[in-house]
Amino acid sequence: MALFSVFQTTFLLALLSLRTYQSEVLSEPLPWAPESLKVFINSTHQCLHLQWSVHNLAHHQELKMVFQIEISRIKTSNVIWVENYSTTVKWNQVLHWSWESKLPLECAKHFIRMRSAEDDAKTPEQSFWSNWSSWEEVDVQNSLGHDPLFVFPKDKLVEEGSNVTICYVSRSPQSNISCYLEGVQMQGEQLEPNVTVFNLNHVAFIRETGTNIYCKGDQGDSIKGIVLFVSKVLEEPKEFSCETQDLTTLNCTWDPGSDTGLLKQLSQSYTLFESFSGKKTLCKHKSWCSWEVAPESQEMYNFTLTAENYLRKRSVHLLFNLTHRVHPMAPFSVLFTDVSTTNATMTWKVHSTGNYYTLLCQVKLYGEGEVTQHNVSVEVDGEQLFSGLEPDTEYRAQVRCANANHFWKWSEWTHQNFTTAEAAPSEAPDVWRNVKSVQGHSVVTLFWKPLSKLQANGKILFYNIVIENLDRSSSSKFLSIPAPANGTELNLDQCSYQIHVTAHNSVGTSPASVIIVSGDPGNKEVEEERVKGTEDGFSLSWKPQPGNVTGYIVEWCDRPRGPLCDLQWKSVGPTTTSTVVSSDAFRPGVQYNFRIYGISTERVPYLLEKKTGYSQELAPSDNPQVVMSNLTSRSFTLSWKDYSIESQPSFIQGYHVYLKSKAGQCHSGSEKAVLSDDAVCCKYKIDNPKQKTFVVENLQPESFYEFLVTPYSSVGEGPHGAFTKVTTPDEYSPILIRVILPMVFCILLIMIICYLKSQWMKEKCYPDIPDPYKSSVLSLIKSKENPRLTIMNIKDCVPDSIEVLNKQEGTRKSLTETESSKPTYLYLLPTEESYSGPGPCICFENFTYNQAASDSASCGHVPVAPKAPPSQLALLTSPENLLKALEENYMNSLGEIPAGETSLNYVSQLASAMTGDKFSLPTNPPEPALCSEYKMQMAIPLGLASPPSSGSSSLSSFTLLDEGEHYH
Amino acid sequence: MKVLAAGVVPLLLVLHWKHGAGSPLPITPVNATCATRHPCHSNLMHQIRNQLAQLNGSANALFILYYTAQGEPFPNNLDKLCGPNVTDFPPFHANGTEKTRLVELYRIIAYLGASLGNITRDQKVLNPNALSLHSKLNATADIMRGLLSNVLCRLCNKYHVAHVDVAYGPDTSGKDVFQKKKLGCQLLGKYKQVIAVVAQAF
Repeated sequence: MALFSVFQTTFLLALLSLRTYQSEVLSEPLPWAPESLKVFINSTHQCLHLQWSVHNLAHHQELKMVFQIEISRIKTSNVIWVENYSTTVKWNQVLHWSWESKLPLECAKHFIRMRSAEDDAKTPEQSFWSNWSSWEEVDVQNSLGHDPLFVFPKDKLVEEGSNVTICYVSRSPQSNISCYLEGVQMQGEQLEPNVTVFNLNHVAFIRETGTNIYCKGDQGDSIKGIVLFVSKVLEEPKEFSCETQDLTTLNCTWDPGSDTGLLKQLSQSYTLFESFSGKKTLCKHKSWCSWEVAPESQEMYNFTLTAENYLRKRSVHLLFNLTHRVHPMAPFSVLFTDVSTTNATMTWKVHSTGNYYTLLCQVKLYGEGEVTQHNVSVEVDGEQLFSGLEPDTEYRAQVRCANANHFWKWSEWTHQNFTTAEAAPSEAPDVWRNVKSVQGHSVVTLFWKPLSKLQANGKILFYNIVIENLDRSSSSKFLSIPAPANGTELNLDQCSYQIHVTAHNSVGTSPASVIIVSGDPGNKEVEEERVKGTEDGFSLSWKPQPGNVTGYIVEWCDRPRGPLCDLQWKSVGPTTTSTVVSSDAFRPGVQYNFRIYGISTERVPYLLEKKTGYSQELAPSDNPQVVMSNLTSRSFTLSWKDYSIESQPSFIQGYHVYLKSKAGQCHSGSEKAVLSDDAVCCKYKIDNPKQKTFVVENLQPESFYEFLVTPYSSVGEGPHGAFTKVTTPDEYSPILIRVILPMVFCILLIMIICYLKSQWMKEKCYPDIPDPYKSSVLSLIKSKENPRLTIMNIKDCVPDSIEVLNKQEGTRKSLTETESSKPTYLYLLPTEESYSGPGPCICFENFTYNQAASDSASCGHVPVAPKAPPSQLALLTSPENLLKALEENYMNSLGEIPAGETSLNYVSQLASAMTGDKFSLPTNPPEPALCSEYKMQMAIPLGLASPPSSGSSSLSSFTLLDEGEHYH
Repeated sequence: MKVLAAGVVPLLLVLHWKHGAGSPLPITPVNATCATRHPCHSNLMHQIRNQLAQLNGSANALFILYYTAQGEPFPNNLDKLCGPNVTDFPPFHANGTEKTRLVELYRIIAYLGASLGNITRDQKVLNPNALSLHSKLNATADIMRGLLSNVLCRLCNKYHVAHVDVAYGPDTSGKDVFQKKKLGCQLLGKYKQVIAVVAQAF
């Protein structure tokens, strides 16, 4: 440890002595000290440019020197930068050096000084520095003007992610200045009393138009600001490539990368420099540039692409041989010659790229889903023969070429289409028929399938049909059906016919398709089998036929529910006994029926088997319409005769009858079932789909039931829709109804009859006026044998009349009113002509008759309205008018007839002597409805009848009149 | 100088083709003859009023479009950044004679036309995507050109004034971007204020 201390002390002493020596040497000024130091300011770039010279250099002398430059900020002692700048100095040379300040130069004073030394490689440390030059002061603030506030740097352009220093210079230090970036106040640090700086780290790109940064004071000073432009980092061009199409122009392309996000004036430029020729061009576009190939056939090119903006420069290089970068232009003049049904020749031309260049051309032929490719070597013109083509087929040919010697890129494709010529159809049309017998004739609908494109070999123009009668060989018929028809209808008799069908195009005729329509339909009964379809179709198989069969045909309708059926068929060979029938038209839930025919060697089709099935069975969608009948207290019958099981979306296997009851008990033959709504009911199962009636038994009288009949199949049952409600009657009601109804009916009938024949009955049973001939009195008379006694005939009666008089009080009547006092006569007994049957009548006391049996109080009298005007009275001359008048006035007349105005005189024809006293007769009106009281009208000898009571007679005459109503 | 070449000089050439660019135009004595290239319409004053009304009607929208396009702090500091503090703006006296008013109108429109040219040029660089602003600026400049022509016709026909001294606003080409934005905003604020007074005066 002591040894180490001694060694260290010795070393330090040696070092100190060396420094002392150096100081002594430096005290002598160096002959090549920097002189005439000038400082220039570039505020925009925040740069200080130094310019100086070195004197005392000999003419043509070159001296390698190092200049040490010191930069201080604010004050000379605050050195912020020291840099040694080495260069070779010549005689009389002006030297330059630049320094970029992080801080805007306007924000603070700067001081610069420098010294120099000979840059000797042998002495790594410059031990012999010249004296420092004097400090050069740089003060930009002096030239700012008198504005109260300044913000720097102006319009600064920086890269995204870099650091920026901003400052403001305030002329009034006492004001409080705030600075904002995008509305957010920045925190700065005071550099000088009137200068504050803000350091923005990792600035982000915000927008192309720059970011406003502004400062404002709190004393109403104006706002000052700057715009900071932040650029995204300029990317290096990618995928730089050059090529030529014609060996005269090079087209260079590149990917410029992401945009720098600067205004157009600030965005990058691209320069293309070729080092061999030394040429340079400024590209007008961001991603490509054209370069004229040198006429002196320069083969090698070394390009430098430079992308440059204010902040960055990026370069990429590319060295290539021109002949290796030939991208031929697309071939042209593509033509087809000698186009036949199966062959064609294609020719094309290529653009010339020099006499010694050979092109490799690639030819592709597209047709009928196939692609064939050929490679052809071409110098000027290309040619390619296509063979094995299909007739009447459009092909698409395309060709492209590339440099055969140095492959660079294929040219663009050139396309051209051509169509081969037509040929006669190669196959006979596939023909099938549908035969219907109508009124002794056969209606044969002939169908054929259009030939495929490969079979038709051209456009089918028409179909020829030859119908040959096999029974009468001499008879044949010819039809021509224009395309695109695919069938025709023939009306044939019961003979057998051989039908030939051929298809024709513009070139020729197809082979004939022959089918026999037999006169004997031979529709044997074939049992229908069920098949199960899948999404792929129906898999059908049938038993092979023992005899010679030329093939089989499966026939079905694509739309069995449609009116046109859309008959389809499929032909298979004689050795095939199964096939899969598929069709896009097959729909789930539709029943399809298939018929399999065998084709005999005589080409006669005969039915072999029938199949039916669904491509997919669906649950029944509808329930049958059920009719209920035979409702008793214990049972009822359900029937759904109209339900068609053939039109259902699946094979109906039977029916379920659901019965809901309050009791919830299920009898034998049914089982309990829980419905989707958790309701419990009894379910009866009918296994036979053809059974469409069902008797629901074992019911309770006077009970409420609900039932539902729904079909079921292998995939489910029909919907559980609305149940039908039914209430059973009580047990006795039917019996009662059977008894009571007829009884009621009979009673009603009797009542109606009695009502209708009441008059007759009355007459027969209890007449109002007994028939005198039937009277028992007659027997008495007869027994006395008194021939004088006769029965009075009504014809013999002389009718009485009523004279109605208006008795006017003479003092109050005018002369004109006297006319109305004429008496009016009412004929009390109708004549035969005027009699109109029963009805209201007027009854008066007839003194002709004895009234021994009369009820004096009940005889009505005519209530003549006392106040009736004369005209009304005149109307009373007829019985109807009279009654009307009576009805109108009677009620009033009873109480309020003024006395002495009107009088009614009864004039009896038999007592005419009494008529002189007109006013002595009672004028009581009769009561029309009450007048039917019977009065004995038979003239009876006094001896037999009791004498009439005058009191009662008198009473009968005046009963209905008050005392005051009598006129005398 | 670029601004002069791009904005003001062509304007002067168009407006004062007979006398060359940039020369000040003194008021012609009343008795001096004056001629225009095209015949003037008989209803010049009506057209002038209509054009003034048109400018007055669109001035505020133009002002709003402008300061909105400049971004913060302009929309929220209109008084400090867009106040009508244009010192050398030509005066206008609404109570003067028609001739005086027309001469003053001529000076104002000439001043505004040149300034609008500068603003349009600056905004096409600084806000290349503000197409509606560009459109509005161009439309306003078009109306001003027509108005200037009509005013000159009126002055020439009725008052035999062929030359009017005009002054132009400051050249913004050497200014920093923020200052360009601010000067444009101030000018448009002043324009909005003045055009209302002028339109009312006619």
